[in-house]
Amino acid sequence: MAEAVIVARQFDDAEQQRRASDLGMWVFLATEILFFGGLFVAYTATRLHDPQAFATASRLTNVTLGSINTGVLLTSSLTMALAVRATKLGLRRASIGFLCATAALGIAFLGIKFTEYVRDWHERLVPVLNFAHVGPHAGGVETFFYLYFFTTGLHAIHLIIGIATVAVVATMAARRRFSPDYFTPVELTGLYWHLVDVVWIFLYPLLYLVART
Amino acid sequence: MSSVPLPLPRSYLEEGFSLWSWLATIDHKRIAILYAISITLFFFAGGIAATLIRMELITPAGDLVSADTYNKLFTMHGVIMVWFFLIPSIPSTFGNFLVPLMIGARDLAFPRLNLASWYLYIAGGLFTVGALVAGGVDTGWTFYTPYSTMFSNTHVIAAVCGVFVVGFSSILTGMNFIVTIHKMRAPGMTWFRLPLFIWSMYATSIIFVLATPVLAMTLFLVAIERFAGVGVFDPALGGDPLLFQHLFWFYSHPAVYVMILPAMGVASEIITCYARKNIFAYRSMAFAVLAIAIVGFLVWGHHMFVSGQSIYAGMVFSILTFLVAIPSAIKVFNWTATLYKGSIRFDAPMLYLLGFVGLFTIGGMTGLFLASLALDVHLHDTYFVIAHFHYIMVGGSVMAFLGAVHYWWPKITGRLYPDRWARFAAITVFVGFNLTFFPQFLLGYLGMPRRYHEYPPEFQVLNVLSSAGASVLAAGYLLPLFYLLWSLRYGPRAGPNPWRATGLEWQTASPPPVTNFATIPVVTAPPYQYSPLEDARRG
Amino acid sequence: MISHPVPPARTYVLVWVALLALLLVTLGSAYVPLGRINAAINLAIAATKALLVVFFFMHLRSAHSMLRIAATAGFFWLAILVGLSLTDFAVRY
Repeated sequence: MAEAVIVARQFDDAEQQRRASDLGMWVFLATEILFFGGLFVAYTATRLHDPQAFATASRLTNVTLGSINTGVLLTSSLTMALAVRATKLGLRRASIGFLCATAALGIAFLGIKFTEYVRDWHERLVPVLNFAHVGPHAGGVETFFYLYFFTTGLHAIHLIIGIATVAVVATMAARRRFSPDYFTPVELTGLYWHLVDVVWIFLYPLLYLVART
Repeated sequence: MSSVPLPLPRSYLEEGFSLWSWLATIDHKRIAILYAISITLFFFAGGIAATLIRMELITPAGDLVSADTYNKLFTMHGVIMVWFFLIPSIPSTFGNFLVPLMIGARDLAFPRLNLASWYLYIAGGLFTVGALVAGGVDTGWTFYTPYSTMFSNTHVIAAVCGVFVVGFSSILTGMNFIVTIHKMRAPGMTWFRLPLFIWSMYATSIIFVLATPVLAMTLFLVAIERFAGVGVFDPALGGDPLLFQHLFWFYSHPAVYVMILPAMGVASEIITCYARKNIFAYRSMAFAVLAIAIVGFLVWGHHMFVSGQSIYAGMVFSILTFLVAIPSAIKVFNWTATLYKGSIRFDAPMLYLLGFVGLFTIGGMTGLFLASLALDVHLHDTYFVIAHFHYIMVGGSVMAFLGAVHYWWPKITGRLYPDRWARFAAITVFVGFNLTFFPQFLLGYLGMPRRYHEYPPEFQVLNVLSSAGASVLAAGYLLPLFYLLWSLRYGPRAGPNPWRATGLEWQTASPPPVTNFATIPVVTAPPYQYSPLEDARRG
Repeated sequence: MISHPVPPARTYVLVWVALLALLLVTLGSAYVPLGRINAAINLAIAATKALLVVFFFMHLRSAHSMLRIAATAGFFWLAILVGLSLTDFAVRY
């Protein structure tokens, strides 16, 4: 039997608690949009300032790995959405399965990203550490890769936090903490996961597809 | 037949006396007090920096401190006063204490996030104090690049880390208030029955959640660029120092509305109570705070008129800046209309708020001079700007904060303070403030630049007046420390509603019990239902 | 028992297929020389994918209006930041 819903002292009932949690999470997601948004502005300004450099630099990214990774992350969003759905329907085994699949796909994303980073290192594209690209736009290319590592690194940190949270929530699900009446942690984790996916949806074309022609 | 009275529920102050009961509390009222003590400490730290600044400026020569030290002094004054005093001041103390009480709730939506926000504030404060102790920062509170990223030899990274961390304190507070106000109002408390203080907390919270993350990212970029030697603000690498200024001011302009909107909320509460009158045009007051919060996001480029940004951007930002003055002006008109034919009492809170209305008006109107592109060419980076923002931040926000301290002191502590001393302090602050900052308008117009520790001899008279005023102002700020702390022990105990004010917070005991209300009230009337009939009836 | 509308699994799978299709379109179109239009197409497709994720996976389609306002506010404010700073960047660069 699922545990009864615990309503915190400040709330009138479980429904108010759920609505408050949902609104709180969406407000937090809005802050994340603005947080990453600062980087998107920096990217926009710098690309407008030196479009040739960005074109040159973007061609040096690994579009194959980047595209596969995008597919991986989109699939993880599917499994996450299915996990939330299964929890709402009381399908405990399915929800645990989908949560584990989400985490696995997230780890796969990180693995592919790490492979990319290693290749970038070998091609001497890492600013400050071993950057050795020469040419008329070398400064701008280095700035592009600074933004590349900054944005994908920050994204990866958010993804790691997401994977950890999914693992915690999967454990809670295994301990029968959720039911059709109470699934807030799964729902909120899902919202966070999808936001991390949306950030990547925008990063992908801006980093990998600038001047492929 | 005698009846035995039921024992009163314990007040929130009596719910545990150990240090742990305070440091691990999730009661919004205790968290408000934790903040109140912390921001007071930072206020006096920032005040010490200001004292040294004004002492240096008594003479034209730079003879008290070196130029480098002076740069560190005005930087720390700005950093501390902006992020560790003004921005949290009313929201984190009075917002935290009053939002649940005013809407008829038992606590905020997320009490543990509330406590976390205070710990983030303290952590950020420690980083910043660390930077100070380790030798200071000399970039100005605005951390402009490329000086901050490439050339300053001071502890920039520690300072921006401190501000980064304290920003998350603001974000959590904003999240909490938005959700609480939306979801936890008492039965019958519709949006247009909310006290205007709640509207101002809501508008402030919108700014907290939407602006602060951009500051966080901007400071993160500064720290990395300084550390790594590569980044987006360096022209040699295809970057742009103005990118920093756009990102920085996107937050920092709305931040000044964070500083004034809560004060405006306080004004509506106190002016109605001490004029014994309903607020004039309630809905326009509510919409005005929303308009200020939203339009305030569209004007940041007015800090950059002479920075080298495109003249087209300058024109766009100039016209938008003129527009944002309109809702503020509407509020000033409405407070004035509220006073008209009111039954005015000049208790200390009212003295502070009457001062607020006048000084905010002067500060706001001088903002219009600065919004005009041509005038700003002459006035930018002079003492005119300093006088403008101090009139709003100090003449406005700080005076409203002090008014709020006095008004809600009986509710928070259960004690009454001696009103004569309080009125004397209020007048001292008003006189000291004007003597300090009015000469600075003249200095700026005459051409004295800001952030200079020495100046031509012909500016000395005005500078001496300003420094003399600062000493009076300091005395005015120190006075309340004494009589307010005295009142905690020796002041008469306050009843639930010593000012006969309207509002749910006055319907519960002073100080309130832990759960705020014995039973959640049901609201049937709009706020500020003051009238001579009511006053006569209550006697 | 509180009832919340639970879409069928098929809906999620269809959205996923659409997302992958859009991924292929954006990748493919990047190799077609269209000058400045390439960037516009990529951003438009990214926005469409984001909307699909937000409306279907994040349930904004059936959500309380306040949640939609919060979500819109985030993106709208970012648009303000980008748009107004472009009055400087797009003119000066």
